[in-house]
Amino acid sequence: MKQILLITDGCSNVGESPVLAAAHARQEGITVNVVGVVDYGTIGELGSREIADIAKAGGGLSRIASTSQLAQTIQMMTRKTVVQTIQQAVNKEVKKILGEGSLEELPPQQRSQVVTVVDELTETSPLRIALLIDASASMKPKLGAVEDAIRDLALSLEAREGRSELAVFHFPGHSSSEDAVLDMDWTRNVSEVRSLFSRLKMRGATPTGPAIFKVLEHYRYDKLDEPRDYLVNGDDEAREGMIGGYVV
Amino acid sequence: MGMSSNPPYPAGTVITGKWRGNRYVVERMLGKGANGTVYLVQREGRRERYALKIGYDTLELQSEINVLTSLQSCRKRSEHRARKESPLSSYLLESDDFKDRDHTPFYVMRYVEGRPLHHFLSRNGASWLGLVGMKLLEKLQTLHECGFVFGDLKPENVMVSSYGEAELIDYGGASPLGRSVKQFTEWHDRGFWNAGSRTGDENYDLFAFAVLCLRLLNEEGLKSAAQQLPQTRSVDELLKLARNLPDKKLASWLCLALKGGFPGSAQAAEIWRSQIYRARKTGKDTMATPRWLKNAFALSLFLLAFTIYWVFRF
Repeated sequence: MKQILLITDGCSNVGESPVLAAAHARQEGITVNVVGVVDYGTIGELGSREIADIAKAGGGLSRIASTSQLAQTIQMMTRKTVVQTIQQAVNKEVKKILGEGSLEELPPQQRSQVVTVVDELTETSPLRIALLIDASASMKPKLGAVEDAIRDLALSLEAREGRSELAVFHFPGHSSSEDAVLDMDWTRNVSEVRSLFSRLKMRGATPTGPAIFKVLEHYRYDKLDEPRDYLVNGDDEAREGMIGGYVV
Repeated sequence: MGMSSNPPYPAGTVITGKWRGNRYVVERMLGKGANGTVYLVQREGRRERYALKIGYDTLELQSEINVLTSLQSCRKRSEHRARKESPLSSYLLESDDFKDRDHTPFYVMRYVEGRPLHHFLSRNGASWLGLVGMKLLEKLQTLHECGFVFGDLKPENVMVSSYGEAELIDYGGASPLGRSVKQFTEWHDRGFWNAGSRTGDENYDLFAFAVLCLRLLNEEGLKSAAQQLPQTRSVDELLKLARNLPDKKLASWLCLALKGGFPGSAQAAEIWRSQIYRARKTGKDTMATPRWLKNAFALSLFLLAFTIYWVFRF
């Protein structure tokens, strides 16, 4: 499973539309979640609409949170999205096998078995999350909380049984030609999440769309040594993989 | 989070099961958990009252029901061996879908009459902690023996009857041993204190139990320790709080639990039983000396000194 988690506090103002970028991500099997961080005041109607739109286009969730709720919110969104992705895949399988509708309509005994599979996969499927942090000037006072939330997320991912990896990007880059900067490449190690943003120079622009495209590139570039992600490709092996991963 | 938007069902609502057909009449709402709302209900045509939990999300609630089902069968096996030591404790009576309302899933469990642990202790006094803590540790031990951790252990999730019988409620955070912990609450979470992983093991629950004790005995101290910056927040703060408790045996038990030093909950419960539960204060109760008395004593000493000085001077 692949996710992008965008953490921002306002509107994009440079380059391609972030909604378009998120739609591209979804097309490539990457779910996009968005957190709007607010402290003192609101994010503005325009900002909150954009946040909701990006998440919708990216097939993910969006939330507005204060810095104190950030860690918890990210945790919850990530978990929910993982469950959702798996549930969608499993539902497809269920329909294939039983020809029935949704989970809700299954009789309790079968539903219980399906949920056991979903729980199992939620815990064991490989997971990659690219965090994309808005580091425009207004975000500066919030970056401490963002870093704490990332550490907290890494701790939860580390507890999963499946291979879980985290990468961190921030945007904008050092020059106007650089859309996003990779701060930390795929890692499974919580202790690497330390003082990520200490050397950061804040800039004014918010090229959210181009930054998302940059992350997509990184996902593509990395395809070779990526753990096999059998849930997203719906081929025959996918089913074998799923059933093989189901241990009682 | 934001999922519990449905207004509670009014008293008298009849909840009919879609698959098994049993009918339950709502008496009142008992509380809200992360996965659903709990009602006090009466099965139609019977006198017994039950607790009924209606879920917000089919998947989440079914997952909880699955945990309860395996606990139930584990309990049955062990009771079979132990000849029904506590026939009343039962995790799950039945589960079904609410026939009339969008097929919302629900399950029915035993109703534990009582109050949440923190209310119980503030009403009845901290001297109950030895007994209630032991009961709670026994519950955790049973759970661990069945291969599960509770996860989200906090006073709100412990119901205590008027005579100190403790029961865990809300198994929404329970997960199999060795898996990641599903639900947790900051203060009670080992990861929050930089004291270890979020992998569910017996010591995860024991850690949460130790924080629960600290919270019951010194909530202010815990609160200020929790407000530290994440980088400086550490288990040492909790150890300090524990060491400052007047009961030294309890203090050393808590320190061991916070450091993850128990081999498992069986040993932890055993030590609690012998060191804390049985070690009731013998002899007269030592009561903390009130401050006004100390002040008065200091004043009288001063007066005495002054008088002596005055007498000898002349």
